[in-house]
Amino acid sequence: MNCQDFWNSFPELAGRGEHPHLAECTACESRMAHYLALKQGFRALSAAGPRLEAPPRVEQRLLSAFRRQTGADFRRPSRRWVPLVTWAAALAAMVALAIFLVRPRAPEAERPPLRRSVEMAMLQVPQADAEGFIPLPNSAGVAADGDEINLVRVEVPRSSMIALGLDVSADRAAELVEADVMLGSNGIARAVRFLE
Amino acid sequence: MTLAPGETDDELLLRTQSGDEEAFLTLYRRRQAGLFRFALHMGGSRPVAEDVTQEVFLALLREDCGFDPSRGTLSGYLFGIARKLVLRHLERGRSDVALETEADDYAPPELAVVDDPLLDLTRREGIDALRRAVQALPRRYREVVVLCDLEEIDYADAAVALGCPIGTVRSRLHRARGLLLDKLNQERNPRQAMGTLKPVRCLL
Repeated sequence: MNCQDFWNSFPELAGRGEHPHLAECTACESRMAHYLALKQGFRALSAAGPRLEAPPRVEQRLLSAFRRQTGADFRRPSRRWVPLVTWAAALAAMVALAIFLVRPRAPEAERPPLRRSVEMAMLQVPQADAEGFIPLPNSAGVAADGDEINLVRVEVPRSSMIALGLDVSADRAAELVEADVMLGSNGIARAVRFLE
Repeated sequence: MTLAPGETDDELLLRTQSGDEEAFLTLYRRRQAGLFRFALHMGGSRPVAEDVTQEVFLALLREDCGFDPSRGTLSGYLFGIARKLVLRHLERGRSDVALETEADDYAPPELAVVDDPLLDLTRREGIDALRRAVQALPRRYREVVVLCDLEEIDYADAAVALGCPIGTVRSRLHRARGLLLDKLNQERNPRQAMGTLKPVRCLL
């Protein structure tokens, strides 16, 4: 082994200078001795003075940054499922709609009569009497002659007219409208008359 | 969550990325001092070293931090980030006052020392002289000395940090040590160093 080979294969300072080449080459032996002395100098330099490290405020700042990040970014993986769930929900809705549209319906005659009567009742437009009173559902209806009644004038939201099947514009639903409520002798409302 | 004492950097990083605060602190406390000293030796000021240390770990917290375990250790990766940050600081502040002998084909000096300067390297004067000599090294030699000789990280990690092959680390280290010996020799034997200057003829 020549000097160049020795230094190419043994350049680190980790060795203690024990190598056959050093025994036969005084130049390399001297050079190695200097390098080992340099190594001791590096260790002395590292150990000299106070222990150098980052001040505690760096750790505090990083901890704050980590906590902020943990509250945001590290929870981000769960958000990755949001589009998937959205698409799955949309697909399920489309399948349900398709099944509903394609499903064969029972003929009209086979449908239960009770259900049909309810549907018809719902479609009926309320019929007002001559004075404009509309009988309320599930009540005794407009009072006949001789019944003791009381009339009370109130203001109700226009949207309450919808419940009686009257057409109400959506943008006026919140407006108040005057109405006369016909109360029976038992205090239960029997009919209503809107004053517009 | 409790941490095993022998937990590797990679394991700590994985836990950190899953939001484990204790793992992050363990990793920080394990690596911050070396990074701070490296930045201090290279940047020459504590504020720079402080900023660099903080920025290194902030970079590690990013989701796309870019660490690839197959390319080297986390330690080497962290030193690599620190090095880039220090260079950015130096370019911004132009505070690098080292003698820039950047040529890689620099020939190390002969080590025939008359009055051996290495005998007292472990004494105060010797340590100060060595510190000055390290600071006076050109940047590319200083960084490899700080990494391999002062921080004692292995050559593979140094290669990752410096972004060069291991062979380059070896050769730079070899030349850096030669430069250091030369510098120490000059400090100890100024007359001998003066003798190496070429005489010029005065025409006036």
